[in-house]
Amino acid sequence: MGYLNAIIILGGINIIAALGVAIITGYTGLFTIGHAGFMALGGYACAILVTTFHVPFAIALIIGGLFAGLCSFIIGVPAFRSQLRGDYFAIATLGLSEAIRLILNTTYKVVGGAFGFMGMSNLTTVPVVVIAVILALFFAHMFVTSQYGKNCIAISQDEVAAQMMGVNLLRTKLIALFISAFYAGVAGGLMGFYMAYLSPSFFTITRSSDLLAAVVFGGIQSLIGPTITAFVLVAVPELLRVFSEWRLIVYGLLFVIIMLFRPQGLLGYVEMNFAFARRWWNAVFTPHQAKQGTIKGDQ
Amino acid sequence: MDLFLQQVVSGISIGAIYSLLAVGYALVYSVYNFTNWAFDAFMAFGAFMAFYAISSFFLPFWVAAIISILLAIGMAVSTEKLAYRSLRLRKAPRLFMMISAMGANLAIVNLLNLFFGGQFRRFPVENIGTFSMGQVSVGRMDVLAGIISFGVLGLLWVFLYRTKPGLGIRASSIDILTASLMGINNDAVAFIIFAVTGVLSSVAGIFYGIKYAVYPTMGIVTIKAMIASIVGGLGSLPAAVVGSMLLGILETLVAGYISSTYRDLFSFLFLVIILLFFPNGLMGKSSDEKL
Repeated sequence: MGYLNAIIILGGINIIAALGVAIITGYTGLFTIGHAGFMALGGYACAILVTTFHVPFAIALIIGGLFAGLCSFIIGVPAFRSQLRGDYFAIATLGLSEAIRLILNTTYKVVGGAFGFMGMSNLTTVPVVVIAVILALFFAHMFVTSQYGKNCIAISQDEVAAQMMGVNLLRTKLIALFISAFYAGVAGGLMGFYMAYLSPSFFTITRSSDLLAAVVFGGIQSLIGPTITAFVLVAVPELLRVFSEWRLIVYGLLFVIIMLFRPQGLLGYVEMNFAFARRWWNAVFTPHQAKQGTIKGDQ
Repeated sequence: MDLFLQQVVSGISIGAIYSLLAVGYALVYSVYNFTNWAFDAFMAFGAFMAFYAISSFFLPFWVAAIISILLAIGMAVSTEKLAYRSLRLRKAPRLFMMISAMGANLAIVNLLNLFFGGQFRRFPVENIGTFSMGQVSVGRMDVLAGIISFGVLGLLWVFLYRTKPGLGIRASSIDILTASLMGINNDAVAFIIFAVTGVLSSVAGIFYGIKYAVYPTMGIVTIKAMIASIVGGLGSLPAAVVGSMLLGILETLVAGYISSTYRDLFSFLFLVIILLFFPNGLMGKSSDEKL
């Protein structure tokens, strides 16, 4: 049972972080390979708030996420203001995450340096993770269907055309980056309180590639695709331990194969929606007369 | 003052290696408009091939270097054929090219890790010592690295600006479609560009391996080369060289005067500062999207 719990919790954490990457890479079209850095920022901030300042866990998670979001502006403002092409934004995120890891690794005073940060209790349980994943999915869905989300999609299609339609490129990209870093930060906070300690070695470029893999396999412009693949990518290597050496090689080859044969990913452009639930609800619970009335009203 | 000069000399030699890598990125970027993320894998591959040619087959250094260069050319060209070519023909968005390149990089680096193991290896080449100029002692290997790097870059310059295939590549970098209408073979251009990439990455990998160590993730240093090419200005080869020398010297000074642990942090801060004040790099023109 503990094993199953581990898979659910780690899978849920991976889902939340992957949703963050889906918002910035899948929807806004900005390639990131540094989200592990934002996870580290959120995780350490959350851990310090709870252990040192005795802030309640839920509030600390949100503050940790906000902290990661604010730190994302360090790279977001210069990179987007100079209209760097997408590739160079990716380098900037990689640079930021390596810099964060380096600082954490060499600062022994507050964050414990290479030994890691200890002293957290095990607050991340299955219900906490399930609730967090549901909230994360709900808010991500709200975001991408809102006007801001549509602006993001417009930017990913064609920046110049989007700008001509009146989309503020800098602001929209910064909002998307902020939300994306917020998600990564919350995921980092949850991870710290599951592992009961945090170490800079958790947040290497391998983790960033794993998150990117979830989004690439799951699909561009889709939330449900990355959610499924993020969970599967955690569960499958856990089940097939023997396979672990080959994992990154297979990921790499799959990246190439998917780009060659199905570049939109497994569920690309497939939007999660609850229309079927509403239909069933109406079919079962709405009285016949009233339903006809609403249809006429709609027309 | 001696320390200062010592650091500058050391910085020039690392800057020369960065220049090779930065030029490799700039070359692919200027024609195909995407960052060849697999480049760091080529570099590690080249270094490993030279390492095993010397340590397992006991070949002389120069023979090993040539074998490594040939194998890296093969690797770069076949990666282009397998991972980029059909995307390029379909005119796929750059995001897809980048993801494909990232995938090739992940696969090659982790294959090296699986077959050869992740430990750090000392490059099996004898130490040819140092000589002193005044108070400054200079490693002969550093000088050799500098001379060969600039020699390779010089040859590349001659090739690009004084030969007919070079003219074709320069034409393709302006507009690849029009160039192909003028009778330039796009596939040949791609072959030459990625072959050049293989040469540059392999030479850089060998000298970086001699200076530090040979290990599968050694290619992470190419992030410095990318930073250098942004600092210099996008898509331009001379700017990439200038940016690399500047970054190499400055970060060696930081390592000497402050602490070597903050060297990598400094290069990142340098990037952010340059972007804040020179959004197009030091020598770059406007980087607006072309319509």
